[in-house]
Amino acid sequence: MPMIFQYAYMQRALLVGFLLAVIVACLGTVMVHKRLSLIGDALSHSSLAGVAVGLLLGFNPIIGAMATCVVAAFAIEAIRKKLGNHSELAVAIVLSTGIGLAGVLSGFVRSSADFNSFLFGSIVAISGFEARLVMILAVVVLVAFILLYKELFYISFDEQAAAISGVPVGVVNAIFTILTAVTVSIAARTVGALIVSSLMVVPVAAAMSLARSYRTTVLWAVFVSVVSTVGGLVLSFYIGLKPGGTIVLLSVAILLLCKLIGFLRGRNTGSKTPAKALETKGE
Amino acid sequence: MTKVIEVENVSFGYTRDMILEHVDFTVEKGDFAVVIGDNGVGKSTVVKLLLGVILPTSGTIRIGGKEVTSLRGSGIGYLPQNGGSRAAAFPATCEEIVMSSLYKKIGFGRFPRKEHKKKVEEALELVDMLDKRKSLIGELSGGQQQRVMLARVLAADPEVLILDEPTVGVDAESVDRLLHILHHLNIEKKVTILMVTHDIEKVGPYANRVLCLSEGACREEMLPHEVQVVHAHAHNHPHGEMAHIHCANCEHENQHGHDAEHCAECAHCGAFPGHSHGGHKHGNPHTHDGGNVDGKGAV
Repeated sequence: MPMIFQYAYMQRALLVGFLLAVIVACLGTVMVHKRLSLIGDALSHSSLAGVAVGLLLGFNPIIGAMATCVVAAFAIEAIRKKLGNHSELAVAIVLSTGIGLAGVLSGFVRSSADFNSFLFGSIVAISGFEARLVMILAVVVLVAFILLYKELFYISFDEQAAAISGVPVGVVNAIFTILTAVTVSIAARTVGALIVSSLMVVPVAAAMSLARSYRTTVLWAVFVSVVSTVGGLVLSFYIGLKPGGTIVLLSVAILLLCKLIGFLRGRNTGSKTPAKALETKGE
Repeated sequence: MTKVIEVENVSFGYTRDMILEHVDFTVEKGDFAVVIGDNGVGKSTVVKLLLGVILPTSGTIRIGGKEVTSLRGSGIGYLPQNGGSRAAAFPATCEEIVMSSLYKKIGFGRFPRKEHKKKVEEALELVDMLDKRKSLIGELSGGQQQRVMLARVLAADPEVLILDEPTVGVDAESVDRLLHILHHLNIEKKVTILMVTHDIEKVGPYANRVLCLSEGACREEMLPHEVQVVHAHAHNHPHGEMAHIHCANCEHENQHGHDAEHCAECAHCGAFPGHSHGGHKHGNPHTHDGGNVDGKGAV
């Protein structure tokens, strides 16, 4: 048995990392295509404010993180609807509020080590309770994602058309918002608040360079996310690096590799390459 | 004829700035109605009202006899302006995009079955895009993207199709192709169509109704079956000037200051109201019989 599997804490870290990688990529695919790529940042920073409140008032910081994350996520949805064409500002507004609150409240927290563990996570120091929490969350998010796959696709693609067709857009968005908020707050404890937002976006960007459909975009995003997380943990174990940062850097390296492969294959998602433009010009 | 779209005394706007005032019109089953008017006159507002995106300040709108009170599930097929280009960055195949509109038929928590795949293929075939079903939407030309978006709308079998400026940003060949498809849907499948457009010269010959929005009001214009539309823009006339349209029967151009009643018929030769269409086709591709010749949608 490789040395990495001989340690119970690493087994737990690998399992939790794998599960979070799968669900964060699924949620990230929807977020990126709803043009809300930075929502992970906004939520994770808001979760830090909740962590600070939890530490200050003496209750579990994860509960505090979940509460502020859910409030922040609904605030983004509400502001997004009000702003119309400038809906991306909603994320920036909530992100700024989250940073401000976390900054001020963290000043009152006596043990800065506790607070910092939420910034960069402590995936190799996960308790049994936290591991079980992640397992339950993974099942709930995956089931919801599969059941709502069609609706989420339609809403991401064209929210107005989805509503006209009778998709209960408000309900689906609310379910998705709560799942994202809860996932971000739990992932903040394990992989870190600053890292979960990267995992929500970078694997999806990599997937878009290779995928030939929405379905394969989801699958590629999950694959890249899992390889980054598990690979990052393994690398950090053997080389002695910090796991959170290693995971993110590995995902960025994979993204660059995928972009290169995509470029060599003549794909450039979002805009046509000159060759494709000429090909399709005459229909 | 069955009234499919009924707009009754509808006003919309804000306290000091009314966009639409006391607008009335009806669209009947099988109509191909075109809504024209200057920029900012409220054409897109009419579309939003019909879809239920916004609700009228006063008055009522009924689609298929049911009052429109919200956006949800109005059952209208809607093709937005530049619908294709908005989808260009989305990594989905044409098949996936068309399938999305069948979500209700597929059912909650279920995956597409054979009959749904067949439906998607039929819709793509209808717009001549079946061979591109596995292509990513972003890899298609603007005209092709728009046809895929139309297929998405058609897959849900809408009885009413609303199109907002579908000819904007699309090359001439693609416009002709799109209009040909719409004409086929209108005639063969009896789909009622309401299209907002500036391109009356191209669209007019396919339509049997022209509704002109001017200064917040709506009037019925000449019937393109019987007239050749030469120039169609509303002027800022105190009485709500009609478009310059001349009668293909006698070459008489309607005069400024005519009210809606006069503009819906040619006072010069009396060719229109109640007349049969015989002898007035002038190469028009529209083959409706009967049509809406009595101008009852006019205000």
